[in-house]
Amino acid sequence: MLERGKIDSKQAVFLMIALVLPTAVLTVPSVVAKLASQDAWLSVIVATLVGLLIARLVVSLSLRFPGKTLFEYAEEILGRVPGKVVGLLYIWWFLHTNAFILDEFGAFLGITILPDTPFLVFFIAGTFVAAYAVRSGLEVLVRYNQLFLPLILGLLCVIFILSAKDMKVARLLPVLDTGLVPILKGAAVPVSWLGENVTFAMIIPFLNRPKEAYRVAARAVLITGFFLLVSVLVSLAVFGPNLTRAWIFPAYNAVRVVSIANFLERLEAAVVAVWMLGGFAKIGVFYYAAVLGSAQLLGLKNYRPLVAPVGVILVALALLCENTVVLFDFLGRVFPPYALVFELGIPLVLLIVALAGGKGGKKS
Amino acid sequence: MTAFLKPVRAGSLRRGKSKGRGKLSAGQPEDAGLSGAAWKDQVLSPDLETNLQQIKTILNNCSDVIYREFVFAQNEQIRLALIYTDGLADKEQIGDQITKALALEVPMAAPGQEITKGRALDFIKQRGLCVNEFQETGKMRDVIRAILSGDSVLLVDGHACAIINGTRGWASRAITDPVAEPTVRGARESFIETLRTNIVLVRRRIKSPSLKIKTLRLGEVTGTDVAVAYIEGIANDKLVAEVMSRLERIKVDGILESGNIEELIEDNPWSPFPTVNHTEKPDRVAAMLLEGRVAILVDGTPFVLTVPNLFVEHLHAPEDYYERFLYTSAIRLVRFTSMAVSLVLPSLYIALTSFHHELLPTPLLLSIAGQREPVPFPVFIAVLIMELVFEALREAGIRLPRPIGVAVSIVGALVLGEAAVRAGLVASSTIIVVAFTGITSFTFAYSASIAFRMLRFTLMVLSAVLGLLGLISGLAVIGIHLCALRSFGVPYLSPIVPTTAVDLKDVIFRVPLWAMFTRPRLIARQEQKRQIPGLKPTPPETRPKR
Repeated sequence: MLERGKIDSKQAVFLMIALVLPTAVLTVPSVVAKLASQDAWLSVIVATLVGLLIARLVVSLSLRFPGKTLFEYAEEILGRVPGKVVGLLYIWWFLHTNAFILDEFGAFLGITILPDTPFLVFFIAGTFVAAYAVRSGLEVLVRYNQLFLPLILGLLCVIFILSAKDMKVARLLPVLDTGLVPILKGAAVPVSWLGENVTFAMIIPFLNRPKEAYRVAARAVLITGFFLLVSVLVSLAVFGPNLTRAWIFPAYNAVRVVSIANFLERLEAAVVAVWMLGGFAKIGVFYYAAVLGSAQLLGLKNYRPLVAPVGVILVALALLCENTVVLFDFLGRVFPPYALVFELGIPLVLLIVALAGGKGGKKS
Repeated sequence: MTAFLKPVRAGSLRRGKSKGRGKLSAGQPEDAGLSGAAWKDQVLSPDLETNLQQIKTILNNCSDVIYREFVFAQNEQIRLALIYTDGLADKEQIGDQITKALALEVPMAAPGQEITKGRALDFIKQRGLCVNEFQETGKMRDVIRAILSGDSVLLVDGHACAIINGTRGWASRAITDPVAEPTVRGARESFIETLRTNIVLVRRRIKSPSLKIKTLRLGEVTGTDVAVAYIEGIANDKLVAEVMSRLERIKVDGILESGNIEELIEDNPWSPFPTVNHTEKPDRVAAMLLEGRVAILVDGTPFVLTVPNLFVEHLHAPEDYYERFLYTSAIRLVRFTSMAVSLVLPSLYIALTSFHHELLPTPLLLSIAGQREPVPFPVFIAVLIMELVFEALREAGIRLPRPIGVAVSIVGALVLGEAAVRAGLVASSTIIVVAFTGITSFTFAYSASIAFRMLRFTLMVLSAVLGLLGLISGLAVIGIHLCALRSFGVPYLSPIVPTTAVDLKDVIFRVPLWAMFTRPRLIARQEQKRQIPGLKPTPPETRPKR
């Protein structure tokens, strides 16, 4: 067994939230508003529902093969060679997605607090911290996340409440003015984000109560969806669709305008600080998935030797992205179809083949 | 269950062996380091002269050992010898209960039963000796150990065995107020340097047959007595076994303080955080034992170790359980905030003033900038210098004889601080930051505050290089490290993470004692229940009638 740690259901919910929320909560409002304008929040609701379906798909698939990760049962379902190919693809996807997460991490820090620092520094810092967590094992990563995620969620709540003063419901009107198609188009982006939950397939085998996986996944997607929804609503209600579209991180800007009694202001420092802690967790989970997957693919007994090389690849991949404009264009237009292949396409195929071939099955 | 009670990593022992350092290898029995190893397996001979000669050879050049030879009162043919160490053994007791009793006051034997050499030993044991406790042995090792521990050894001619009389009694310090853990409310007793007294202090608080005390001897040369105390049925058996096994593998020349043991039984020797707690208050040890922990008492030090140790323990004070719960909870909040401040404040100050001016409210920024205007150093250097000054002052305050200590604080506070600001060398905001950080680091346990002091400097360097990114990355790494730490199998950050909901009752907020129903779940795995439900005090008229 490569990983001997066990995590409980509450930790798993937190982990799944960290898997999506940290970057999504900042970027989603702008990207969705570009497509769905003031109805962006409807897109998020649609996306959450689709996200639930994806999560259900992943859990159903994983529970057919208790104690096995995506990489192990892909081989069992498709046979050795095709299974390995699928595994290889997933390693690429975990790494590539993680590179974009690092890019977002860098973009956010570059725009907000350290404008003159080369992105490479952000990438190395992010990767280093995540590498330390990954090296310490799943249990530690999960505990780290359990330590800081409540802080992030709490701060988000407080800040959204504080920005209520600047909100105008009128900015959300007219509802459904743009028609259904833009809403659905807009939903594609948050779907691809919520679909990152497919990484949960690497975690399910280590749950101490695998039976609760459905509930865990559903709860996590709903909480994530709720926070995305609130973040979009706040951005729209504070800035209106046009400004929301124009900002790169509208939710962050919504925090910046908070000023209560000339005392509670400049809260963005806290946001940046706490958000970074969440960013490390998100990078860490994908990092862990890539490292554990590689070790399983290569049949290693210990994944720790892979942590450093994978980290180097990660930083190099993150450097490929030229600038923030390219990054957000990619995230808005290319990432959804690309990601959905891994989030929905391959798992669906795996499940169908498994059902057709009668492989796996609920032994409990 | 493999996650519980991970074995400690191979320590200094194996390394020392491979380098061939001394004779301290695991296979040898203890006392191997004592003068020569030839005598350790010797047995006593029936001849008194031979025995005395052997002991004198072994204890050659030990001028503090006293040999007293005399004859038995009833039969002058029976020669006796008493050996003890001057100052370690209670001479008065020896005189009254042994020498006088045997040489003068021995009761008459029953008529017709003359005391011969052969019967002498039994007679002495049963009727002659007046000491409260004695023990018989035939081994030279026990004899030597007894002599050097303060017991007196009685040799009877014609018998190949010795009687070890419990006559320990040496000058020791009186029980005084705790110096390192002063409290406003609570017991004022503190442990002293004598193990026996320390055990008494614990036993006096827990009058239960379940309080078990196992003893062992550590240190090949020092032969230090160590006692492991726990409450059977509350402490986890596996934990007790693990503590014993970690102690038993210690083979060093000397154990002079419990800190020596702490370093040899820690879970992670590289961590800056202490994973073994220590206290000099018997009431605190009793409280720890009641929660299922194991205490390690070491002869020669007032500091008692308790394991497993959780991070939050360092932020709890003994009187947290004696004061009323609302006050306790409020003051704990202060302590937790102080902990955070003492860790990050200087780094945050450096990061904000040198990288992220825009994150400071404008009036504050202007005020700081105004103060800093004449200062020639960058913020980082200024803070670093002042922090070093503060650390130096603190160290000087500890090392100096007490009367001079006052002078240090005058020089430090007035001359350095005030003059540095007047001379424009340091901004007053920097002084405020450093001083506040210093004060906050005194609010919680010293052992943990040392860890935070060291990490504070690391964080300062990180924030000087990378600003907020460096600070937060550093904090994340510390967080991960804390999450990975364990103390005797128990996660260090529990019950916060992994979250044990019922045990959050005693982290920051302390529930009232009448709601403290269970013991910490991860520590006391055997008996969880602490009290009966319904202890909440109520006015008489609302009480249910029986």
